[in-house]
Amino acid sequence: MKKILVVDDSLSVARQLEKIINESGEFRCVGHAKNGAEAIKMNHTENPDIICMDMNMPGMDGLTALRSLVVLDKDVKVVMVTSLGGVGDKFTEALRLGAKNVISKPFEPAGVLQILRDL
Amino acid sequence: MGHMAVKFFGQFLVEKGLVSRDALLKAIDLQERKNLKMGEMAVSMGYVTQADIDRAHNAQLSRDMKLGDLLVEMGILTLSQLNEIITRQKNTHLYIGEALVLVGALTGAQLQQYLDEFKADQAQYVADRIELPCAIPNSRIWEMAADLTYKMITRVLDIQFRPEKCRVVTTLDTNFMMAAMDLSGDAEARYLISVSENLQKRVAKAILREESVEGEPAEVLEDTVMEFVNVVCGNVAAKASQMGAIININPPVSIRPAATGIQVPDGHTALCFPIYVGEGEKMELILLVRQ
Repeated sequence: MKKILVVDDSLSVARQLEKIINESGEFRCVGHAKNGAEAIKMNHTENPDIICMDMNMPGMDGLTALRSLVVLDKDVKVVMVTSLGGVGDKFTEALRLGAKNVISKPFEPAGVLQILRDL
Repeated sequence: MGHMAVKFFGQFLVEKGLVSRDALLKAIDLQERKNLKMGEMAVSMGYVTQADIDRAHNAQLSRDMKLGDLLVEMGILTLSQLNEIITRQKNTHLYIGEALVLVGALTGAQLQQYLDEFKADQAQYVADRIELPCAIPNSRIWEMAADLTYKMITRVLDIQFRPEKCRVVTTLDTNFMMAAMDLSGDAEARYLISVSENLQKRVAKAILREESVEGEPAEVLEDTVMEFVNVVCGNVAAKASQMGAIININPPVSIRPAATGIQVPDGHTALCFPIYVGEGEKMELILLVRQ
């Protein structure tokens, strides 16, 4: 079963994603980081297969963390989860920095799982 | 009920797995090479030199003006030349769908089919007209923000309501809680949603996708209203970018207002959009627009 790390400062988004992931039977949530700096640490300790990360977080934001993650771990697979997905410049920047895909909020569980399966 | 977000076409294609991330990036690179910026087009048409553009860029550092308007004000371009440049930019613009066909990621027939699917997907966010009670900077953006809020209350929260007429207020009414987000960039305002206690629980049920939220910590219940504000404001930024305006969002905050309400700060206009949900409930959208 593939391991997923959720990175979001919002408790409710983390809850939504953990529920979708753990009820899928295909993926397992291995932790919840509240900002980019925690995500970098937990990528090292939990060694997830995929990281689902918010863009807009206090402290280290998602795009800054993404920059570091792809340098520190060349095999890392990051999917950004954001309400800003429809802003063309943000979406393009995330892909150029190495994100594998972008999940826009609001999301449907089936859409999230399809994107995770396609990685 | 579909929870689709405001999207642009390239994103829709990648999310659905219809084109790969690498193909989309290739098409965007092609667009960036082919679609000349205003200054580049002006130089290519022989109306200005690169030195003129550099001079105008320097002047832009102290002036909040678009490059084209500044070139006209500086006497470098005439207004009719500027209009000609803008028309040429529009007529030669390479759209992302066309770029994807050019890089071989889509056929012409696929492009048409996916464009139709994209339009159907986004039809739920076609704008309805909202009337503001007074003249205000960037009114089109704030009308769109209110319209999108109404649509997301229906689509995301599954709450039936009746929007009441927007009015200007000098004090924000108290309520059980408010969630707020500061918007900056081409238009500046604080976006607030205020909810009564029972409505907060309805928001929480929808956001957490739970039948019951009894026993949930207050922190989680508050966070769900902040997350709703985050979702609406992110989609407002997406719609604004389609309208040619850049809006930045910041992390949301929660507010427990005093019983006397909140005084509107100087230099701001507070637009209050009451949202009638039912007897004994109170919900409002407030836009504190910087004047």
